[in-house]
Amino acid sequence: MTTKVQTYRNYRFKQKVIPYIFLTPNLIIFSVFIILPAIIGILYSFTDRTLFTFGSANFIGLENYVNVFKDEFFIKALKNTIGLVAVTVPLMFVIALALATLLKQPIKLVGFYRSVYYWPVMISAIVVGIIWQWILAGNYSLFNTTLDSIHKLLSSLGVVSGDFESSPTLSDARFAWVSVVFAIIWSRSGYYMIIFLAALLSIPETLYEAAEMDGANPLQKFLFVTFPCLKAARVMVLILVTMEIFKIYPLVVTFTGGGPFRATEFTVQYIYEMAFRHYQVGFASAMSVVMLIIVTTFSGLIFFTSKRGENQ
Amino acid sequence: MRNKRQVIIAQTISTLVVVIFLVPVLYTILSSFKGMAELFSTAPTFFPRQWTLANYIHVLSTGRYGRYILNSLIVATTSTIIAIVINTMSGYALAKFKFKGSTVIMIVILSTIMLPLEIFMAPIFKIITFFGMYDSLWAIIIPPAATPTGIFLMRQYLLTIPDDIICSARIDGASEWQIFTRIILPNAKPAIATLAIFSFMWRWNDYIWPLIAIYSPEKYTLQLAIANLTGEFGTDYTSALAISVFSMIPMLIIFIIFQKQFVQGTVESGMKG
Repeated sequence: MTTKVQTYRNYRFKQKVIPYIFLTPNLIIFSVFIILPAIIGILYSFTDRTLFTFGSANFIGLENYVNVFKDEFFIKALKNTIGLVAVTVPLMFVIALALATLLKQPIKLVGFYRSVYYWPVMISAIVVGIIWQWILAGNYSLFNTTLDSIHKLLSSLGVVSGDFESSPTLSDARFAWVSVVFAIIWSRSGYYMIIFLAALLSIPETLYEAAEMDGANPLQKFLFVTFPCLKAARVMVLILVTMEIFKIYPLVVTFTGGGPFRATEFTVQYIYEMAFRHYQVGFASAMSVVMLIIVTTFSGLIFFTSKRGENQ
Repeated sequence: MRNKRQVIIAQTISTLVVVIFLVPVLYTILSSFKGMAELFSTAPTFFPRQWTLANYIHVLSTGRYGRYILNSLIVATTSTIIAIVINTMSGYALAKFKFKGSTVIMIVILSTIMLPLEIFMAPIFKIITFFGMYDSLWAIIIPPAATPTGIFLMRQYLLTIPDDIICSARIDGASEWQIFTRIILPNAKPAIATLAIFSFMWRWNDYIWPLIAIYSPEKYTLQLAIANLTGEFGTDYTSALAISVFSMIPMLIIFIIFQKQFVQGTVESGMKG
């Protein structure tokens, strides 16, 4: 009798301990490589630590934070990044949703289209940068020579006159910036398309039939049936894209290198260079904390505005 | 009538969009077969005028790239195996056990998504150095193996496995580790396949972890090596294009074989490395 009770107690004890044991490897890695860096980063931001300070560094209060907002290059990188978020997030949202809507139509070869649109997602950001630099950079790029031949064709038809002036290249600040937006959307829209497509396919067909009986046109069907049903997917895509654009870096490394004249330099690149090229870890950490606050605020805003909409 | 026209328009647009997604990749692949003179020609053509393997021979004969590809393979494979084991363990604990703090742990795991490592590269460098992992492949294998999305994916899938199987194994006297290896792992195959493919892709394409943790050229991964071909003084296209194609090939093969898992995985968890 006692052995049975003991076995049962033993079992109960095991059931309590075992889940923690199974969680241990992951929790250790998370604590050491995700949570601890954030905490250390916050602590560093109040010191004059460099990359090669291994003992204790001097506490300098808010000096780094004051300097961060005096640093014109950081302000420029921050403006670039927020501008990029403001432009790319809505564009990505609309294009991904448009692609998903397109593939929901009863067309042939849907599987093929879906694969082709998704395929750039598999290419590393580094290679995406190489690909687009190869197509866009220089006066004799594919892009430029294609524009040239289109111009020749049009002028032979008498539509335009005069010689073709080379299109702007990546050494033009505005063109480089727009190209970055384009490359991001090219490489990532397939991913968000899939999220939307799954949500679209899960909307019951009966809702559309009911709307049709009430005499709704396609636009009304989209606005009053499709869009409200996509709620969860919409919030998810918005948060994921926003996070992704805020931490954009590898693509820029091989595409524009941040140039010309810092026109496409975004905050992660600037933080990296401040820490690893100028060794100013304390100063860089203050920028990291500023970034963390901004990123959290943005995703929090998206999350809570969507929550509020729910209650109405 | 209107419906038919709508379908034709949709079909046309879809085909045009294919061009936008396919042409850049095709042009890159085709260009990698062009000779030096053609690469820097003032009148580039879409297809090579003269096909040559010169770029590939150049890249492979310098030898270093073989090393980089090997490093990337080692990192991607090892990290993926670790990721499968530890994320399935966590997913199992969260799906099949009731214990104190499970909700809190779940929230903590999910909120780590909000702490992008890109922002805290310098502290991560310090931690890696502290543990003596700097300039070791382990630094880019172990830390990224734990992913919140991986745990989430496994948990969602394991919830669908009936408790009865686990209970009857316990009655039969199986130890908890045996239950995990003999029952949970085999039953979670579809979810493991999805996690494996994504994990391999994340590690193969990763740039940030190697950038922080790797110093010696002989430990470079492919992405780090490719990134180093570009710089202030322009890009070395003769190597960059060929090696970029090398970087895309394993992904292309995996993608063609496992398309279903990719679509499924994206949908199920909004997977993000």
